[in-house]
Amino acid sequence: MKKAVSVMVLVAVAALSILCFSGIASAGEEIKMVGVITKIDIAGKDAKTATATLKDNKTEALVVITVNDDLTLDKFKDHRIVEGDEIRCKYETIDGKNVSKLFRKTAGC
Amino acid sequence: MKKTGMIAAVFGLALAATTAMAEHPGKESIAKSGYKGPETCEECHPGSAKGFMDTVHWKHASKVTNVDGVDPKKEYGMKNRIYVMCNGNDIVNNLKEIPKSPVTGKSKFTGCNTCHPGNHLSDVGSTGPEAEAAVDCLVCHSTDYDFRQRKASKNEKGQVVMGQDRSTKAALAIGKPTVKNCMVCHEAAGGGVIVKRGFSFTKDTDAHAAKGMVCVDCHKAKNHKIPTGHDPNNWANDNVFISCSDTSCHGGKPHKDADLNRHSAKVACQTCHIPRTGGAFAKDFTVWEQTPDKFYEPTTLKKEANETTPVYAWYNGTVKNTPHFIGPKGSRMDGKSKISPFKIFQGKAFYNKQTGELLSMDFAQPMSNGDTRAGVLSAAKTLGMKDPEKVAKEAVAGWQTIYFGSNHLVTKSKALFCANCHAPNGVLNFKDLGYSDKEIVRLTSPELFMKKLAEKQKEEW
Repeated sequence: MKKAVSVMVLVAVAALSILCFSGIASAGEEIKMVGVITKIDIAGKDAKTATATLKDNKTEALVVITVNDDLTLDKFKDHRIVEGDEIRCKYETIDGKNVSKLFRKTAGC
Repeated sequence: MKKTGMIAAVFGLALAATTAMAEHPGKESIAKSGYKGPETCEECHPGSAKGFMDTVHWKHASKVTNVDGVDPKKEYGMKNRIYVMCNGNDIVNNLKEIPKSPVTGKSKFTGCNTCHPGNHLSDVGSTGPEAEAAVDCLVCHSTDYDFRQRKASKNEKGQVVMGQDRSTKAALAIGKPTVKNCMVCHEAAGGGVIVKRGFSFTKDTDAHAAKGMVCVDCHKAKNHKIPTGHDPNNWANDNVFISCSDTSCHGGKPHKDADLNRHSAKVACQTCHIPRTGGAFAKDFTVWEQTPDKFYEPTTLKKEANETTPVYAWYNGTVKNTPHFIGPKGSRMDGKSKISPFKIFQGKAFYNKQTGELLSMDFAQPMSNGDTRAGVLSAAKTLGMKDPEKVAKEAVAGWQTIYFGSNHLVTKSKALFCANCHAPNGVLNFKDLGYSDKEIVRLTSPELFMKKLAEKQKEEW
């Protein structure tokens, strides 16, 4: 009985550890994509985060990207980046979110 | 509180007070009367709009005195230059609606002068009251500009007009240009972010940005004339120049170490303090790639900021300019040159078979259907060349190499030190720089720095 309880405690501790460190565990490698913005969600002028939905040029899949960097957020806020713009993006999946590491318009002049 | 803490607090308060004082005056008046364009600015800054007409930012050109093969009486710049980073210019690749894509049936507005701070009806180099009234002051001076307004469209006469945000809201956020204001145009030049100049100006990539400096702290304008450096490929200028050694910046003896200061007589600051570059390193204007929106773009190879290394050459501020090369002139013996770093770029474009001159391109046709010779034909017609059809048909592809000045991505902590240059595997090619084999043996020996660095190493560890 004692042994069984010990095993259960061990399993519980292991499960808890996995849950606690799931952010790290789920952080994948950097993924690159080019796609067109179909939607931007940003909550006002003081927002510290936003999401942009990109339609992947290769797969046509819709990928929701979380953007946290100030430079890109500012471009959302003043509409230098808008829906319809094509974006070159690098992101990592952390805690189930695709967190942007690079988010740039492909176009220039 | 400790003495240092007190000093820091006082300094902080002083800084805060300065920032508060930096608030642009006159906002109450703008809020009351609304913003009416340059005439509102002129109430406090009379003559500014007229003065602005005589700047590179409005004319996209200036007289050029340091470049081979140009007429010193004429003006040159993105208005009319032909080279392989852009291959078009404001004249041949004027902002317009391009032909519809044969695949999608869609068109779009594009042109080199998209960034010109007018409304396109008053365009590059225009003058007079109408031009003065068309200046988009806020695109450079407002931190709350709505870029949805700055879009090209056609008016009732079919003319292409560039929109502006002239809202009171934008005008109430006026001030000296921020990094963002400058980067609206300068970061995406040459066909995309970081493509042309190869740098980003952020706290992570530049020591000046990390200190909270903005572009105009160095490029300090007077009457909208903005000082620049001596980039071999940046010809147009307002005849005002900046240097790291300006007394208001780092001065002539910036280091505590006399040996390092001695270097500054022959080595540009950038050589040690800008060890990396980035951006586009090759482009092909003869073959355009179809993009997902079914339009076409020149085939471009590029890297991020700090991902490529510069090439080093003597530079005395004058420029060799041929159809296949644009770059620095200088030598170790001329008494004026310094070893300087350059971002190397190579571009392929069409050349005139008869004259060997580089041809320019109107992007409208190739952007629509990939037909690059149609772009050459259109440009040749616009420029009034003789027999443009023949010129376009016979045009031959060739490469041009350009040395861009490498003046950003400044670092203190990652600056080159003795052994980065003075070693057999050092970054400087002393042979190419004109040193003899005997000199090279001496210049690449640790004998030069052994004692000094050994002492330093002891101190550090």
